[in-house]
Amino acid sequence: MKRFLSVLLAAMMLFSMISVASAESALAGTYDIVIWAPEAAVELTQQQVADFNASNSMGITINATVEPVSEADAATNMIMDVEAGGDLFFFAQDQLSRLIQAGALTPLGVAASEFVKTNNSYGSTVAAQAGDNYYAYPLTADNGYFMYYDKSIIPEEDIDSLEKLVEDCEAASKNFSFELENAWYNAGFFFGAGCHSDWITDDAGNFIAIDDDYNSDKGLIAAKGIYILASSPCYVNSSQADFASGSAVVVTGTWNYSAIAEQLGENFGVTDLPSFTVDGTEYHIGSYSGCKLLGVKPQEDAVRGAVLNQLAQYLTGKDCQLARFSNFGWGPSNAEALADPAVQADPTLIALNEQNNYAVPQPNIHGSWWDIAKIITTDIKGTDGSDDALQTALQKYEDSIAAVFEMTDEVRNAFTVIGTVNGTSWDVDLPMTGADGVWTTTEAYTMEAGTEFKVRQGKSWDVAYPADNFVVETAGTYLIQLDAATGTVSLVAQ
Amino acid sequence: MMNTNQAPAKRHMGLKALNRASNTVIYTLLVLISIIWLIPFVFIVFQSFRVESTWQVGYVIPKQWGFDNYIRLWNTDFKKWYLNTFIIAVAAAGLQTIIVLCMSYTLSRFRFKLRGPLMRFMLILGMFPGMLTMIILYRVLSDLGLTQSNAVPGLILVTVASSGMGYYVSKGFFDTISKSLDEAARVDGATRLQVLYKIILPLAKPIVIYTILTGFMGPWGDFVFARYVAMGTSSGYNVAVGMYSWLTNDQISSYYTTFCAGGVIVALPVTILFMCLQKYYVEGVTGGAVKG
Amino acid sequence: MKQYSGLEILRLSKWQRFLYKLASFFVAIPHAIVRLLAGIWGAVKGAVQKIGSELKDIVATFAKGDWKTKTSYLIMGFGNIARGQVLRGLLFLLFEAVFIFYMVTTGSYWLSMLGTLGTTGPTQAYDPIFDMYTVQYNDNSFKILLYGVLTIFFIIAFIYTWRVNVKQNQIAEKILASGKKLKSGKDDLRSLVDDQFHKTLLALPLTGILIFTVMPIVFMVLVAFTNYDGAHNGFSNNLFTWVGLQNFNTMLSWSAGTSGTQSYSATFGEILTWTLIWAFFATFTNYFLGMFVAMMINKKGIHLKKMWRTILVLTIAIPQFISLLYVSKMFAQNGLINLMLMDLGIIKKALPFWDDPIWARVTVILINVWIGIPHLMLIVTGILMNIPADLYESARIDGANAWQQYKKITLPYMLFVTGPFLLTSFTGNMNNFNVIYLLTGGGPTNAAASGAAGSVGHTDLLITWLFKITTGAESQYYLASVVGILVFIVVAVISLVVYSVLPSIKNEEDFQ
Repeated sequence: MKRFLSVLLAAMMLFSMISVASAESALAGTYDIVIWAPEAAVELTQQQVADFNASNSMGITINATVEPVSEADAATNMIMDVEAGGDLFFFAQDQLSRLIQAGALTPLGVAASEFVKTNNSYGSTVAAQAGDNYYAYPLTADNGYFMYYDKSIIPEEDIDSLEKLVEDCEAASKNFSFELENAWYNAGFFFGAGCHSDWITDDAGNFIAIDDDYNSDKGLIAAKGIYILASSPCYVNSSQADFASGSAVVVTGTWNYSAIAEQLGENFGVTDLPSFTVDGTEYHIGSYSGCKLLGVKPQEDAVRGAVLNQLAQYLTGKDCQLARFSNFGWGPSNAEALADPAVQADPTLIALNEQNNYAVPQPNIHGSWWDIAKIITTDIKGTDGSDDALQTALQKYEDSIAAVFEMTDEVRNAFTVIGTVNGTSWDVDLPMTGADGVWTTTEAYTMEAGTEFKVRQGKSWDVAYPADNFVVETAGTYLIQLDAATGTVSLVAQ
Repeated sequence: MMNTNQAPAKRHMGLKALNRASNTVIYTLLVLISIIWLIPFVFIVFQSFRVESTWQVGYVIPKQWGFDNYIRLWNTDFKKWYLNTFIIAVAAAGLQTIIVLCMSYTLSRFRFKLRGPLMRFMLILGMFPGMLTMIILYRVLSDLGLTQSNAVPGLILVTVASSGMGYYVSKGFFDTISKSLDEAARVDGATRLQVLYKIILPLAKPIVIYTILTGFMGPWGDFVFARYVAMGTSSGYNVAVGMYSWLTNDQISSYYTTFCAGGVIVALPVTILFMCLQKYYVEGVTGGAVKG
Repeated sequence: MKQYSGLEILRLSKWQRFLYKLASFFVAIPHAIVRLLAGIWGAVKGAVQKIGSELKDIVATFAKGDWKTKTSYLIMGFGNIARGQVLRGLLFLLFEAVFIFYMVTTGSYWLSMLGTLGTTGPTQAYDPIFDMYTVQYNDNSFKILLYGVLTIFFIIAFIYTWRVNVKQNQIAEKILASGKKLKSGKDDLRSLVDDQFHKTLLALPLTGILIFTVMPIVFMVLVAFTNYDGAHNGFSNNLFTWVGLQNFNTMLSWSAGTSGTQSYSATFGEILTWTLIWAFFATFTNYFLGMFVAMMINKKGIHLKKMWRTILVLTIAIPQFISLLYVSKMFAQNGLINLMLMDLGIIKKALPFWDDPIWARVTVILINVWIGIPHLMLIVTGILMNIPADLYESARIDGANAWQQYKKITLPYMLFVTGPFLLTSFTGNMNNFNVIYLLTGGGPTNAAASGAAGSVGHTDLLITWLFKITTGAESQYYLASVVGILVFIVVAVISLVVYSVLPSIKNEEDFQ
């Protein structure tokens, strides 16, 4: 079946390439569409649609109504009522899976996926992806946070150390704004300490599992780091342009650049996030890097859908991204645009790029995670900073995650293969299906001699076979099988 | 007991002094209260004229005065929102008043079989949190094509249609108008309709104006449901929906003073109207609200 | 409990009298509940009996009636037309025609789907020519439920109208038998502005209420028995369907979440507690402070009465979304108040108006005073003027001081007159969405209660929680409906108990 599908797909691709020319001419016509763009970008988008009308060779004329809808509202609104949604809409990547689930996005076609993959920076393509499918077009890749500071208060040599920054702020009775009671920001400490928190989605955008080690020794280091700042009187839970209100350090993103530059004047300073020290070891605070995406509303009419995809590709192309950069300082996701000298010289983007060395591309995240993970800081702030107390806060987080993301019995009882099978490392679970107590991998894997793996249940190590790793002796293509009753793992050659 | 003759005189003098002292205390308190009540509104006016920065600052008097914020306001969709709200307010005030008066007059004056059950039923209905029905109302309007850019008629329809529930205050007022008036007129051969517009309405002027006034003021503050209905279409927003987004975290540092300017423009006409009609509002509230 | 007669009560000391009253209040509560249940049972029994007698009457009318009446059972309005009441008859006939047309064309479809709420969800297909996925929308659970409910409403209306139609024949036969004349269409129209004027007046308002208040509430109550949420939106992703009482089980089960997180019921209890505390303080701080301010302004010898009043009512005049949002930002961590105090050197660190649970709760109550006092002041002013002046006069002659006058005359009078008002403002405050949502948005986050039920804050009322559930990440409409129903039950119980215990204002006619 699988093989048949791939042959069919290849045939389709060929067919679509041949038919592209004729299909494109079939797109000619006039279309009335609605675009949802953030307030700032309304005028420019209107202009860019006009440019598209003038430059496209397919005879497409688009009458676009561009509505000012913020990225956050766009997703909420689409989910509320897909029918009333904009045909193209700007949204932040963390909404991707919600939108897919709500039926507000469909997978991109073969050529469109290729367009996304080849033209954009890797991080931004990940953002547009759920399972193996691409669902939207990257627009920007500047959604991350770094540090602005007041040069008149923070000496240059202190900017790399969280402890020194806190000291400086306290000494000057100034604030340190870092919105740690927000999961997006406090994740920086956990990533810095080497933790990860990933949600795993299937091709349809459904969450099937969470792979998370916040509640671990590494997590405890992060919690201690958070405590350093959260317990200080200078800590302020905010990510706004707070320099006018007594802050000397603000952790926020590019969107506050102009306000902050104006507030600080010649004392303006911007750099990557500092490091914190726990038990003599330094950990550079990490961050999420993310993007904004352009979504195409699902269409019943293929022609209209194809036109919208053409326009979306134009709007997310190099020229349009550069125009947005020069107008509002939005950092491009387009690889060519990223190489542009003007982009390379932008102070906030430089800081962002430095920070990106420590950043984790933001994957699809289950909506309720944000509410649960933000409480970690609230809990940590209220403790005395002892290991036990911090551990309790992390334990509570893990419990909440388990409760909210109620792993269905199906997931909890399912066995998966984890190991160095098929080029994966020990952080990917390969699916198995079970019948009558015998579990078999859903596909066959080609394995080298010496490949090691285990079969585990419910993606945890409580039940895992065999006790020592299974080691493949002869290279070959195998199905992996488990007899759950006895715990025997075996290979079935294909 | 012994000084019965002297005591009253002494007490009299004491009373006067006491009275003066208590009046001083009261004046002080009233001045204090007035300051507290006025402060936010004075501040918002000052901040709307601030030119040097658009975010929150630690002082009230602008360093540089100007109309920049108002000019900026003019360049947004604010005009459209303002017009929308005004249309809704006028329509709601008119139609809602008719509905509420029909309802309250009937329930105050007529004794029919279903009157009691009807009033009880509406009392129970009122106990359901209205928030609950927003989604469904949105869908109904959406089916009627009265959402997004047609949000204005949609909002008018919903506001007016459900306004019958708010009959309590004006029913309380009608209850205070003596029934013997209508009975006399009925004896003279007037129909019920004639009684209503010839006798009752002129007497009910305060409550009519009260209802118009509250109907007019309501739409200026409606943002939860209005945001649903106009979802994603700026041309259908009312002022509250449009301005609400200016105070979100990523907008506030560039729109704070614009919000202040918008606030002033919205509050001015409503407040002036209210102040002019304040007398009727007070009569309506005191005549009807308590008894409802 | 010992019952005292009126005379015996007078003989008790003040303290005993207070205790007695308090005790009788609580003793009355179970009675009130029992009475309520009895009332409901009586209503149900009455309804069943009523339907029974109606059915009997319908059969009897058919048996006794002439051919005109009998035909009317099938063709509505036939009897009216045959007996010369053309206008009425045509209206009946038109209604029947519309009903049948509707049922045949669409109504039956909605009804037939109501049991499942749809079977075929949307489908996606790959279009190789244009290299893209297209979507095809099929059943729509939401519309099925909505129009299903409407259709049932329509059927009920039809049955009622049909019954009226039968009854009219019966009455007409009786009138004709007694030799009198039937009303003409002209008479009918005239009666609509006279005898039946109430029907004319109520027609429009009640239609509005039926469609835009009753129907949505019925719909949302039904949603509590489905799995309608963001992941089953009934149209563009998955259909939703009936799940029985499952959602109530989830909400009301006392067992904690799978591993130590708070259960829904505990969260609900926590929010309910704060909602009641809030409603209590919001109502009574406003009530007493409002009364105090009104009395200050109304005191003899105080000048500029109108000016003081005008200043205060500013908070009524200015739309709340401006005043409250502005005040909320004023008290924010980086807001005006904190910045000014810091600039003046009074505080070093921003005061946590919105960031500390206790601060936030106290601050919302205080700011609510700012919003609420003026309204109370106006009401109280009106009532104060109604207190007969000679009461005070005789009290003064008796040597009562201002405080005694207040305690003996003003307060009892006020409490007596404003009893129902206090109740409505209490329940109104329980659902005071604007003040909480605009000031704090429910925050600061309540770490213990958040989790399974989404993000919950320390100042969240049930109503704002309901809103958060609706608009939150998972859009759990079904859960919001359950919470809404619970809010209704809480408000209804409070109202009924207070109403039946309140001594005064049971008989509205007393006032006229």
